[in-house]
Amino acid sequence: MTATPIPATYRRPLRQRLAVTLEPWLYCAPVLILITAVMLVPLILGISYAFRDIQLLNPFSGGFVGLEHFKTLGQDDAFLRALRNTLWWTGASVFFQLAFGLILALLLNVPFAGRGLAQSLVFLPWAVPTFLAGLNWAWLFNPVIGPIPHWLFALGLMDEPSNILADPSIAMWGPILAATWWGIPFFAITLLAALQSIPKDLYEAASIDGASPIQRFFSITLPYLAPVIAITVLLRTVWVANFADLIIVMTNGGPADRTQTVASYIFTQAFKRLDFGYASAVALVLLALLLAYSMVILVFRQKLSNRDK
Amino acid sequence: MATMEIRSASKNYGTIRVLDDINLEIGDGEFIVLVGPSGCGKSTLLRMIAGLEEITGGEIRIDDKVMNALPPKARDIAMVFQSYALYPHMSVADNMSYSLRLRKTDKPTIAEKVRAASSKLGLDALLERKPKALSGGQRQRVAMGRAIVRQPKAFLFDEPLSNLDARLREQMRAEIRKLHRELGATSIYVTHDQVEAMTLADRIVAMHGGHIQQVGTPLDLYDRPANLFVAGFIGSPGMNFLKGNIADRQLHLHDGRSVALPETMPATMGDATLGIRPEHVVLSPAGSDGLEAAVELVEPTGHGIILHLTLAGEVFKVLTHDRVWLEPGPTVCVSFPEEALHLFNAEGVRV
Repeated sequence: MTATPIPATYRRPLRQRLAVTLEPWLYCAPVLILITAVMLVPLILGISYAFRDIQLLNPFSGGFVGLEHFKTLGQDDAFLRALRNTLWWTGASVFFQLAFGLILALLLNVPFAGRGLAQSLVFLPWAVPTFLAGLNWAWLFNPVIGPIPHWLFALGLMDEPSNILADPSIAMWGPILAATWWGIPFFAITLLAALQSIPKDLYEAASIDGASPIQRFFSITLPYLAPVIAITVLLRTVWVANFADLIIVMTNGGPADRTQTVASYIFTQAFKRLDFGYASAVALVLLALLLAYSMVILVFRQKLSNRDK
Repeated sequence: MATMEIRSASKNYGTIRVLDDINLEIGDGEFIVLVGPSGCGKSTLLRMIAGLEEITGGEIRIDDKVMNALPPKARDIAMVFQSYALYPHMSVADNMSYSLRLRKTDKPTIAEKVRAASSKLGLDALLERKPKALSGGQRQRVAMGRAIVRQPKAFLFDEPLSNLDARLREQMRAEIRKLHRELGATSIYVTHDQVEAMTLADRIVAMHGGHIQQVGTPLDLYDRPANLFVAGFIGSPGMNFLKGNIADRQLHLHDGRSVALPETMPATMGDATLGIRPEHVVLSPAGSDGLEAAVELVEPTGHGIILHLTLAGEVFKVLTHDRVWLEPGPTVCVSFPEEALHLFNAEGVRV
């Protein structure tokens, strides 16, 4: 830089100083305006709904109600049940997706003829629109047109070929099965990528050290995959917890609210009962829960990777 | 400790034969170095001994037991990899004790063996560290520690020093030699570095193109290379070759000049190659006896000077320790002591 020395007593004129101060902001302005317009404004607007009475069917609504919605929420049994269902739905879906995704990734990591084709076919469910997947599974469970109840009946697992989506005690398994089918590829893709980055000579060293295939899996594969598993499980959990499509399409939350999750409850409140204020309040609670969950996982992961150093 | 025997072993990848008719006997406690350029099959042979590659044909025996069908863990060998292959999430101590823990050795024994190995290798202060917190040389030591804790029948080394810098390589070379003297374990060591081969080996196995070219002590290979490949591969800078044909006990070069051959060599032979090591060539100023050669380049290495000459259209190198040759002038004369000459026939085999 070539700078002319400035005498200590010299002060630039006000306009010049102002220009210097504002200059960096000017450069940032396009991005800041964009972020504010497309992210912050809708977010704040959405949050503000939670504290207002907004019902589409009531032309006089729209007023500020403070924490009224949250008080109602605390006594809303349907909401509490939805919360329990969400835990169950998310936990089971993510667990089965992870388990089968891992098995699939391990199988696809072994060289065999036609592996390239198998790899691309396996990822097909991911490309199916969730709405279509939901309808498809709903029909598969329907004894009138679908084969699954008849198979279960033939295997002796069912007294008569009935629709499990209509049985309150087991209805949740329907959407969980569909979500598992739909979500396996996601885990398979990410875990396969991670598996392929494990150096082959580690396995060779372990086999010379005397490790059986199972011991090799637990002492090399799993530790290597752990960080990837942690981050994909985190992502998937948030995703599945927010994921209402399959439930809305397959059961609509029924029978008797047995498959109602928080996400589908929000959908029902907003678009069936048209109570946007209450739906926003529920959404805000879900947001807080998921944020807390993410924090816990991130701290946990940080601890894990610190231990490695 | 063990003896090893490889009988007409071969290896195919698909239809490509990468190792052909390998025969080798290794004595108890011997340090064998497999040396050759990349792609000569030396690593494949080592991996076949380890059980990491299937054996296409022939037999590999350890202590007179055929190993062909046995998995690596049943062969009781240890291997040090070029990449070290340390388990990244285990501490140094855990890395070393992994094989013992798999064998359900009791804890006091494990602790004692790890302590013995780590003190032998100077790893005491590092036992709790993870591999990624170690330098290259330290990782190399851990890899060796992992091999020695369980006292296997044989050690296999797959180019273990190639990822280290020159200084460290020199140091680790000496340590491996010392370690071998202490443990006395049968060892097979793969390298493409002929200096490593010369300094470490009891016997060198020189390989090229999937075949064993020569087996012998380092000085055997240096003094009496069996063929042109071994002659050119062992020694640095490499041996000089003069091509021509032999008549009247003289090698007639392509440029019309000739080199007199000693009594011990045949008087007529047709096409032949004469070899002489750069360090055995005698230099004299231009105009003296011997062949005149143009000086292309003078390379001082500190402990010597390498002259790059052109003789009969070929590169010809001379290693001298006399500093008067730092400024040799445009040409010099070279002559060859009789006992330093190597003669190879048209097939490249030593005569």
